[in-house]
Amino acid sequence: MLAIVRKQLRSHPALIPLFFFIGGGATMSMLYLARLALRNPDVCWDRKNNSEPWNKMSPTDQYKFFTVNMDYSKLKKDRPDF
Amino acid sequence: MAHPSQLGFQDATSPVMEELLHFHDHTLMIVFLISTLVLYIIIAMVTTKLTNKFILDSQEIEIIWTLLPAMILILIALPSLRILYLMDEISNSHLTIKTIGHQWYWSYEYTDYENITFDSYMTPTQDLMPGQFRLLETDHRMVVPMESPTRILVSADDVLHSWAVPSLGIKMDAVPGRLNQTAFIVSRPGVYYGQCSEICGANHSFMPIVVEAVPLKYFEDWSSLMLQDA
Repeated sequence: MLAIVRKQLRSHPALIPLFFFIGGGATMSMLYLARLALRNPDVCWDRKNNSEPWNKMSPTDQYKFFTVNMDYSKLKKDRPDF
Repeated sequence: MAHPSQLGFQDATSPVMEELLHFHDHTLMIVFLISTLVLYIIIAMVTTKLTNKFILDSQEIEIIWTLLPAMILILIALPSLRILYLMDEISNSHLTIKTIGHQWYWSYEYTDYENITFDSYMTPTQDLMPGQFRLLETDHRMVVPMESPTRILVSADDVLHSWAVPSLGIKMDAVPGRLNQTAFIVSRPGVYYGQCSEICGANHSFMPIVVEAVPLKYFEDWSSLMLQDA
């Protein structure tokens, strides 16, 4: 199948950017979804050993993908324990 | 506040709204450029006497009109995501104000230190003083210290409402039984207007929000006054 696609690409090089952007977009979405599934503290995979990960976060945990102005390493804990 | 026949956003009063304004300018400029280009191409296509019955395909132009829109979209997406994450950041608020939506008025509670609670009804049109704004003025304003991070907890007493102040870039739904949090910093003193933004009955258009931002000293004077009145 890949050989057929490669042959078609040689005669239609305009398809290369198409593959690149669509493939890249799909890959990035899947990667972000996987990141959310595995790293997001709102998600619970193991009900026995790690039942409520959202209760185990410290003030310096950054669970968001990207921060603009916030420096999580500087935050201190000033709330009572649950 | 909004002006008659206003087309753009109101002037920004908080850093977040400034960012939103700049992003909107950036994206709208891209949209105008694309639309102008498309309009030019349409006019050129429609007004030409040249024809070519034998065009089948063209790889070069296909590459261009795949690459260019993808680049443009990335140029729009990156600032957009940046603002999205910026708006979600947690600030260390100095003051927390609770605002509850009722049918058909807002009530504000400042309970950090003492208990200041008051309702904010719209000023009826026949009671307006000269210079006041119709359907926007209220009897009590939500006074806030300027340049100070403020947290607002929004909820409702009966039906859905929405607390919105466009110049601060804030809109937060007031849901009965739910506490929604939003935060802002007012960059400059002034009076900023907003209106209820979720249909809530007969007087949905008549329950405005007025935020008055003053220096901290005047805010303290105002709170002492409110405590005495209560």
